[in-house]
Amino acid sequence: MTEKEIASLNAAATRCRLNILRMIRASGHGHVGGALSAMDMVAALYFYKLNVDPSDPAKEDRDRFVLSAGHKCLCQYAALAEKGFFEKSVLDTYGSLGSPIPGHPDMHKLPGVEANTGALGHGLAISLGMALAQKIDGKNARTYTLLGDGELAEGSNWEAAAAAAHHKVDNLTAIVDYNGLQISGPVKEVMDLTPISDHFRAFGWAVRDIDGNNMNEITDALDALPFEKGKPSCIVAHTVKAKGLSFGEGNVSYHFWNAKEDQLMQAEEELNALLEDYEKEAGS
Amino acid sequence: MTGNFEDPRKTFGKAVSDYALAHEDVILLSADSGKSSGFGDFMKEAPERYLEFGIMEQCVTGVASGLACSGKRPVFCAIAPFVTARNFEMFRNDVGYMGQNVKIVGRNGGITYSDLGATHHSLDDFSIIGMIPGVCVLCPQDPNEIRQAVITMMEHDGPVYMRIGNEPVENLFEEEPFVIGKGRRIAEGKDVTIISTGTLTGSVIKALPLLKEKGVSADVIGMPTICPLDEELILDSVEKTARVVTVEEHYIKGGLGTAVSDLLSERSPALVKKLGIPHDYATSGPYKEILKKYGLDEKSIADSVLNFLGIDI
Ligand SMILES: Cc1ncc(C[n+]2csc(CCOP(=O)(O)OP(=O)(O)O)c2C)c(N)n1
Ligand SMILES: [Mg+2]
Repeated sequence: MTEKEIASLNAAATRCRLNILRMIRASGHGHVGGALSAMDMVAALYFYKLNVDPSDPAKEDRDRFVLSAGHKCLCQYAALAEKGFFEKSVLDTYGSLGSPIPGHPDMHKLPGVEANTGALGHGLAISLGMALAQKIDGKNARTYTLLGDGELAEGSNWEAAAAAAHHKVDNLTAIVDYNGLQISGPVKEVMDLTPISDHFRAFGWAVRDIDGNNMNEITDALDALPFEKGKPSCIVAHTVKAKGLSFGEGNVSYHFWNAKEDQLMQAEEELNALLEDYEKEAGS
Repeated sequence: MTGNFEDPRKTFGKAVSDYALAHEDVILLSADSGKSSGFGDFMKEAPERYLEFGIMEQCVTGVASGLACSGKRPVFCAIAPFVTARNFEMFRNDVGYMGQNVKIVGRNGGITYSDLGATHHSLDDFSIIGMIPGVCVLCPQDPNEIRQAVITMMEHDGPVYMRIGNEPVENLFEEEPFVIGKGRRIAEGKDVTIISTGTLTGSVIKALPLLKEKGVSADVIGMPTICPLDEELILDSVEKTARVVTVEEHYIKGGLGTAVSDLLSERSPALVKKLGIPHDYATSGPYKEILKKYGLDEKSIADSVLNFLGIDI
């Protein structure tokens, strides 16, 4: 990856963060913390890695992305809109009656969404099924799922973790958004599942720890998949919750944000300035 | 009644396996449950389409959804409570809400796992799975119906839950195509409508001569689909009889009897006597003795109908 390519991905991620603010502006609130910590990885998936086509969302050989932590949906909506899966004006319906972008994703309402998540602890098993189907059909396609670190306390994840390793599903990648926070506080205090990487390793996965808000490290990891042939891969992505909201970064109370106008304006200003820098760097 | 009995799990397993061998997109899933579901031969004949997961029913339900997302037709069969109650949220969200073409089969259903006790009984499956929008709930009444219901279930594009038992079941009817949402009129009568599902339909048929002795002519409906209910057939019958008895191996709360009562209270008010298991943790013991304890053997069914009609036993 050249520096320009990285800057261009960072610009895409920043545009996505601005899309998130646009949705928050529409409804006044949302699960912003976990969406922002995961935003760089989701942007890298959509703008760098996933074989998906906004003009043919159901194309057969596509890669699949399942947002297991469905409350982070703002980051997926932001990326899908930026990628052209739907008109950006739809972002302004966030929070309104019957919106195609509800508070947790609904595959029947929005192209590009592969599963109905929201109840934590479902996405890994669904993704395993998708990856198995790709394997059975001899397709050269991959399935990715993004989990929260707090979500890992759901036992169903570990059923799927065991099954994925047992069936040697090496086209499956789980990305853990390790922002260290959940609703009630630090994950380590609420229900400590550290060391996360060792847990996955013990279940038979190939694991890599990265800085999940660093585009170089993210794309390196995505390019190295599968980390080991015959094993599912896990990216433990160390991130900062609410990344990009200067006044909310790493602050547990920004899990769900009831936005104030002055805060919104400040955040938009900061992100627009950042975007300008990235665009300059990318030479566009 | 033919006097010809079959093990419903073998009948089911063979029907599914035959269908799966002829259709490459069918995948059989096991949670340490495949052999007892009658998939023993299939796992040898098509091992690449038989996936074992061990004891993780929640995960298998999610995996089934994921497979169906890519056009596979997964069938997951295991002990009834563990594919309905244990994994309920996966059934509701991943299969129901996502609208996936997944077939989940609860075997050893009702109280057929009799002596193993209440953890292994499924007396709420019609109720909880029937609450999931868009899921068909089937409970075939004899081996011929199981064979045909399997084919129809596989051809149906959408989620299906089917319940089968494990006690030997007598063949009652000729084998004919199974239509989801259609009941069958087994006998014509005018005094009372009896609606039953599952293998208890056999007991209802055996109770009919006892009713006839007392001069009761019963309109008898066998109802192998709980959801969606064959409303027209029920309304047509109740128009004649105005009195209904339902018979099921399920809690009297939330099952077939409740569905029938719901229908009639809106469309054609009639007294409904619900026969089934009382809303409690059922006792354990030999299957037939449990049925008798709860008044679900042929003699008790006949007596309950007579009582309901105010006729001396
Ligand atoms: C099964 C389930 N239980 C509880 C919730 C409510 N809930 C939504 S987000 C959340 C915290 C998630 O923490 P984490 O996985 O760390 O994600 P982050 O907030 O960091 O994005 C909880 C408990 C849920 N959505 N699903
Ligand atoms: Mg977290």
